[in-house]
Amino acid sequence: MPALASRTIHVGALVALALTAAACGRPPELDKQLETLSSWTATMQLAREEHGSGAITTTYATQLRDAASSALEETKQTIGQTAHSKVDSSYAAAALDSLRTAIRALNAETGS
Amino acid sequence: MKKWGEVALGVVTSIGGFLEVGSIATSTQAGAEFGYRLAWVLVLGTLSLGFLMEMTGRLAAVSQRTYADLLRERFGYRFFLLPLAAVLVVSFLVLASEIGGVSIALQMATGISFSWWAIPVALLGWALLWRGTFGIVEKGTALLGLVAIVFAVGALKLHPAWPAVGRGLLPSMPRDDRARYWYLAVSILGASISPYLYLFYSAGAIEDGWTIEHLGVNRVTAGLGNLFGGGLAVCSLIAAALVLAPREIRVDRYEQIAMVLASPLGRAGFVLFLATLCITCFGSTLEIVLALAYTMAQGFGWNWSENLKPGKDARFATTYTVLILLAAVPVAIGLNPLTLTNVAMVATAASLPVTVIPLFVLMNDGDILLKHTNGWLSNGALVFIALLSVVLLVAAVPLQLLAGG
Repeated sequence: MPALASRTIHVGALVALALTAAACGRPPELDKQLETLSSWTATMQLAREEHGSGAITTTYATQLRDAASSALEETKQTIGQTAHSKVDSSYAAAALDSLRTAIRALNAETGS
Repeated sequence: MKKWGEVALGVVTSIGGFLEVGSIATSTQAGAEFGYRLAWVLVLGTLSLGFLMEMTGRLAAVSQRTYADLLRERFGYRFFLLPLAAVLVVSFLVLASEIGGVSIALQMATGISFSWWAIPVALLGWALLWRGTFGIVEKGTALLGLVAIVFAVGALKLHPAWPAVGRGLLPSMPRDDRARYWYLAVSILGASISPYLYLFYSAGAIEDGWTIEHLGVNRVTAGLGNLFGGGLAVCSLIAAALVLAPREIRVDRYEQIAMVLASPLGRAGFVLFLATLCITCFGSTLEIVLALAYTMAQGFGWNWSENLKPGKDARFATTYTVLILLAAVPVAIGLNPLTLTNVAMVATAASLPVTVIPLFVLMNDGDILLKHTNGWLSNGALVFIALLSVVLLVAAVPLQLLAGG
């Protein structure tokens, strides 16, 4: 569990760095998709914290996870068409990976 | 003493009635994306609604006729069809959003998809309207809606930097994402200045038997009630600014909003958020469907009163029955309630001129209002709101296309 959590933070930091470094020259549509992925990654991390502290129910955390999984699937289908350069593709892959990891971390927390 | 009781009840019902799906969604979206920067729009919307409610309440108390009645009488039947159509279309969208709000709250509580809840929620609402009285609908749901005060508790618990909040009360321009900023501003105004609110308020004044004696009650209710209600919307913006914005969480789904209270208040905050969403949206569902039925009945000259048995005002009762069941359909077929809400709020903003501009004529008509016509302050406010409504009409659709997502 701690390894999973630290990996989430590590990948999250990489994505954040990539977002900052590459803010110029990226297609706006890709920017929007990366923002969506990053937002859902952060949502998963917050949900994991709140579930851990007992603030939210497992039922609710599971719904959040499902919503994040839907966002992941939708973005996965379309991000390939907007990430034209190699650099863009690597940011997209890192963002997708970060969200996948965050979803797994929430799954581990809720025991589902 | 009785008057002060009415004032207290009026203020309390306004607090509970102000916060609903549109204001919760748009203020938390604004807080998550722009911190405190859009707080000024909430203040503007609250003040505008306060003025409009005071005027339509005064109009009803003095003339003993509702705003919809007077629209038809003063401007003619043909003209009346324009505001009627606009109010019907946009309020129907808002009504569907409110049913979506209740359904999503029930989904978060039970895990059963919101689309399954839409029809039972509509049926429960219909049963309450069919069996209940105006007092139950207005005061019952609004008193329960006081649970929304949890937003104030949550915001205080997060210890906001008040000078920064204060700066948010002054209009400012963001450095980037301006289209989204203005889109959210328009959505907030659409949520705050919904025509159903002042149409319902005006009909409620007649249902409650207001006369010239109630002008003071009207002023205090419209002023203080909206001030407190708008304050709660600002609190939800503050909570989102402190919980979601630092983590760069954008509100794409209603499910994310519960975190703004779960974070500062723990499990109690989470449960109270669900209760707030459920109760305030249910209360608004009843208010909107009644406002629509009132407007149609008053416009077409049918019998109307929530206090009458359905058999005594059959066309009025049929109207709310059909509307509440139809409005459940978009949610039952699975339309995302947040998308529905955002579209409804922008459409509402765009529809404002047809109900706001005629009010200027009515509020200055001495034959209707005797010596209670508008003074310079009310007229100034109404001209400002009318101009604002025209700007919203022009800007709403382009902003929806540019930044609506």
